[in-house]
Amino acid sequence: MAGGMLTIARILRPQRPTRQKLIAYESGVDPVGGEWAQSQIRYYVFAVLFVLFDVEAVFIFPWATRLEVYGLFGLVEMAIFIFILVLGLFYAWRKGVLRWV
Amino acid sequence: MEALLAFTRPPLDWHALAPELTLLAVGTILTLVDIIWDEKSKQVMPTLAGVGLLAGLVPILTLALDGTDRAMFGGAYMVDDFALVMKALFLIVGYIIVLMSVDYIRDGDYYENEYYTLMLTSLLGMLMMASSRDLISVFVALELLSIPAYMMAAWRKGGRRSNEAGLKYYLMGVFASAIMLYGMSLIYGLTGSTSFSSIASAMALNDGVTAMSILGVLFVLIGFAFKVSAVPFHNWAPDTYEGAPTPVTAFLAVASKAAGMVALIQLVFVAFDNHEVIQPFFWLIAALTMTVGNLIALRQTNIVRLLAYSGIAQGGFMLVPFAVAGQASERALQAIVIYLIIYAFMNLGAFSVVLAVSRKTRSGELESFGGLFQYAPGLAVAMTIFLAALAGIPPAGGWFAKFGLFRALLDAGGAWAATLGVVVAINTVIAFAYYARVLGQMWFQPIHEGDERPIKLTSALGSALVIALVATMAFGILPGLVGHFGEVAVLSTLGR
Repeated sequence: MAGGMLTIARILRPQRPTRQKLIAYESGVDPVGGEWAQSQIRYYVFAVLFVLFDVEAVFIFPWATRLEVYGLFGLVEMAIFIFILVLGLFYAWRKGVLRWV
Repeated sequence: MEALLAFTRPPLDWHALAPELTLLAVGTILTLVDIIWDEKSKQVMPTLAGVGLLAGLVPILTLALDGTDRAMFGGAYMVDDFALVMKALFLIVGYIIVLMSVDYIRDGDYYENEYYTLMLTSLLGMLMMASSRDLISVFVALELLSIPAYMMAAWRKGGRRSNEAGLKYYLMGVFASAIMLYGMSLIYGLTGSTSFSSIASAMALNDGVTAMSILGVLFVLIGFAFKVSAVPFHNWAPDTYEGAPTPVTAFLAVASKAAGMVALIQLVFVAFDNHEVIQPFFWLIAALTMTVGNLIALRQTNIVRLLAYSGIAQGGFMLVPFAVAGQASERALQAIVIYLIIYAFMNLGAFSVVLAVSRKTRSGELESFGGLFQYAPGLAVAMTIFLAALAGIPPAGGWFAKFGLFRALLDAGGAWAATLGVVVAINTVIAFAYYARVLGQMWFQPIHEGDERPIKLTSALGSALVIALVATMAFGILPGLVGHFGEVAVLSTLGR
């Protein structure tokens, strides 16, 4: 369906490309530099770690709202969950990943 | 509303979960040891991992002696005899692969702790797969076993081929997961349940053959067909097998494929009842997989690629009984389980020999096996036995696996089963041609590069070889041994 709609739109719409229209859109400012700009690899490690703990938070929030209902069982479960994740953080720290080189 | 908010603690059967918990604990301990002692702990990693895998076998034994089927989480997680047999197989295969990996990983100076932790995690996923009787737990198990395997395939970080292997495996794996999830969502939409037994009864109610249910079932099966590298979904396998470190290749070719088969078994024998759709599908991909795998294997000059295509073809043989799952379900199930067990040992053995030889020759080409008999007669004889087993020549194990296939086909009867039997027979002959090429290379060709130094077998690799050899021969001479495991491996179908 998505493909069909795009195809129909392509057939129907007028096409009058100009030089101005074809330059990359960068929030209305004229683009600077090439399109293959490099970003630093060290951001990547932090991005991965961020995703890890972001997902952890997604699991913790619904648990926290119903903490009393789950009782001791829920507490132990969450402790194990967090322990394994913290192990990952310790691992990253120990391997020197957290240092900004 | 009140009922929705109430929470009852799900009953946990610690005994039934003990094998999985053991693996989880050992994996955690491995990471902890690495965090605390870092470089100094490298030496103990394989030992710890191996001991952990063997420790996991203990609860499986006690559970087998106990003998009752245990169901947890509303039947989503079953520990029955089938699950126990497959879990034991996964643990033993894991142990042999740890033995195969020790020197490879140490010599290559690769990350040790991470390698074994990831392998244990992947094996944990496989153990879960053997027990999963629910679409969601099957999917979780699949991801748990796949994601570490993607990383392990790319373990030689510096090598371009290894990176290619990892990337291809990852992309194809994710693609397959997406297709499978789409199929699962269709099935859930139709039956209103994710549990296999409810899906089966819901499909039986509305005859199971609506266009939508066919689509859903086929999508799920195709997802796993990627996993077991069935033709036409096999394209990733040869490149991944060649590029990945050889122990990892063995892991993918044996353990990962077995896990995919286990999932297919559970789907076909428990969940999907519409055999009029499933059987032609499996007939087609089994015939295609055998034929294409064997024909391409004929032209390979690299021993690992040859084994990869031979593995694809062997996977095709394993898919054969699914094509008669309706008429001869019990025999078919037995045939697949027996094939899986025997295939695991003979293939691991062949990979061990390849590892041992390539440690000396530093080459994966077929010529590097030239004249092997003259300077390493033991290895040459071992390889001959493994290849004979793979080709299905008695007394080595493989013949009984093939025998099981034919027995299932004969039990089913009918023209379709008979034609598939003919395809199997033709393929057995084709397969013999390329196994014989390796044999000819070892026994009759001049020594590779005139290098006559004997091959020093490390103790770990030697033990892996001996275990595989003993098992392969034992299964061939005493087929009752493995036949027994095939017969006890009965799926608990939960009230069907």
